[in-house]
Amino acid sequence: MTAGKLIRTIFFIEILQGMALTLRTMFTPAVTRRYPKVKRPVQPGFRGLHALAKNEEGKMKCVGCGLCGAYCPSQCIHIYTTEGEDHNKVVDRYEIEVLRCVYCGFCVEACPFGAISLSEHYEYSGYSRKEFYMTKEKLLANWDKYFTGKKGERYYKDFWRPKSEDFHGYEGQAMFKGIKNEK
Amino acid sequence: MEDIEKTFETRELTISMGPQHPATHGVLRLVLNLDGETVVKCTPYVGYLHRGIEKLGENRTYFAALPLSDRLDYISSMNNNVGYVNAVEKLFGIEAPERAKFIRTMVAEMGRISSHIIWLGTHVLDIGATTPFLYAFREREVIMDLFEMLCGARLTVSYPRVGGVRNDISQEFLDRLYEFVLDFPSKMDDYETLVTENRIWKSRTVGIGVISAEEAVNWGLTGAVLRGSGVDYDVRKYAPYDAYDKMEFDIPIGRKGDCYDRYLVKMGEMRQANRILKQCIEKLPAGPVMADAPKFTLPPKDMVLKDMEHLIHQFILITKGPTVPEGELYMGTEVPKGELGFYFVSDGTGKPYRMRVRAPSFIHASVLPRLCEGGLIADVIANIGTIDIVLGECDR
Repeated sequence: MTAGKLIRTIFFIEILQGMALTLRTMFTPAVTRRYPKVKRPVQPGFRGLHALAKNEEGKMKCVGCGLCGAYCPSQCIHIYTTEGEDHNKVVDRYEIEVLRCVYCGFCVEACPFGAISLSEHYEYSGYSRKEFYMTKEKLLANWDKYFTGKKGERYYKDFWRPKSEDFHGYEGQAMFKGIKNEK
Repeated sequence: MEDIEKTFETRELTISMGPQHPATHGVLRLVLNLDGETVVKCTPYVGYLHRGIEKLGENRTYFAALPLSDRLDYISSMNNNVGYVNAVEKLFGIEAPERAKFIRTMVAEMGRISSHIIWLGTHVLDIGATTPFLYAFREREVIMDLFEMLCGARLTVSYPRVGGVRNDISQEFLDRLYEFVLDFPSKMDDYETLVTENRIWKSRTVGIGVISAEEAVNWGLTGAVLRGSGVDYDVRKYAPYDAYDKMEFDIPIGRKGDCYDRYLVKMGEMRQANRILKQCIEKLPAGPVMADAPKFTLPPKDMVLKDMEHLIHQFILITKGPTVPEGELYMGTEVPKGELGFYFVSDGTGKPYRMRVRAPSFIHASVLPRLCEGGLIADVIANIGTIDIVLGECDR
């Protein structure tokens, strides 16, 4: 054992260094939040509770093609359609088992009409499983609740994937622009 | 005195540790035969978290099975996604564009840092140090926030896609990531100040769970457990995928193959991951992020609305899946835990005939008896922590 090592062992140097670090950290600002009172800001494009989109006339955009249900990895979307008066497809029931959903967002990617969306709402709880069986009416109400105003229009422009520009590249892509605050 | 020893009857005690034990990192059950405090026999029981992911993969198209890979090793889901899409791309015979490759490398290294941080926090917590755990989660939170900014989810990301990535990164993301990269080495120094030289930590890990290089290879170990024994093997270096062939990085290796060396290897890996991240950001090229392979990637959404051909493509690809060449393929990628391999048997349809996952955690769990037998019961905890298993991946 070298002399330096002996001194370090006798005087608990490494323990004291660790304790000094802990003491320093005591005076740094806290990184935690007092959750129910202070809420974490959600990033745009967060994949939360589902909503069925409405068009300008306030009608459901969904036409019942069933592509979301076919693509869904957890198979939690159920669509029941019948033939309408002038031989068009009528969506009778559109149901999502929210407790089975894995929030991958594949339904949004699959939908060719921009009819389903994932809202930024993530705090939901209930007393029974029935409350999490989202029917068409509930999903449409979610749209009114969480996609008010311009938010609904913007949603599809921002989060429809893949876009044409993903296949050929475009001006203004995020690039490294050197160190900003070089010390 | 001798009479007492003769009449005093001792026998082996069998205890069941887990599946709900807080230090087993999931639902691992170990049946331990004890002679006093010495472990005579250790039998791991796995399967409490079995969800049949391999079978589920056979019933979904190659695209739709991607979220299943999130749920293998749920604390580094990004790496699993990257491994999955790399294997599927190799099967399809397509290649992602350069920019997508760089982004994938970037997010995979972020995943590696976040997984290693959790490993450090929990491993040290099991042994008795609470402080590094809190510090570790502070840094992990930054990475989680960046993931959320990137793709809208923090844990189960489903971000890479077959043929590229889901969306291009934003400038804000890149700037914030660069800030993190510049800041991270100082945080690493903090962890090392707290743990590396600490005498309690050293007495709990040095010389515990020793496995020689030859044995480690024979047990099929990969990742930090193998490198801790002194075997210089890393999939990223010897069979590069994505942009790893353009990156400069070293492979930290240990010498003795004990818990302490494995700890040093993992700490070194975090620094190397940070180095790769920095290079990724600085070298990031411009260009597309999805491969131009209409038979194997979903068509652009704006075209689906306008063009009938694209709409038909969308319907065919989603309901039937792509038409895949027949044959079989294995592709291994380096995830934080070791080598994660995907093995596909394709019969030409849009769904795999067989999907097999080579999970590093399963193989590492099988080496537990070798590490624990002959040691003390307290060292079982150190051994579970050091091999860094996640039972979601182990049981699949």
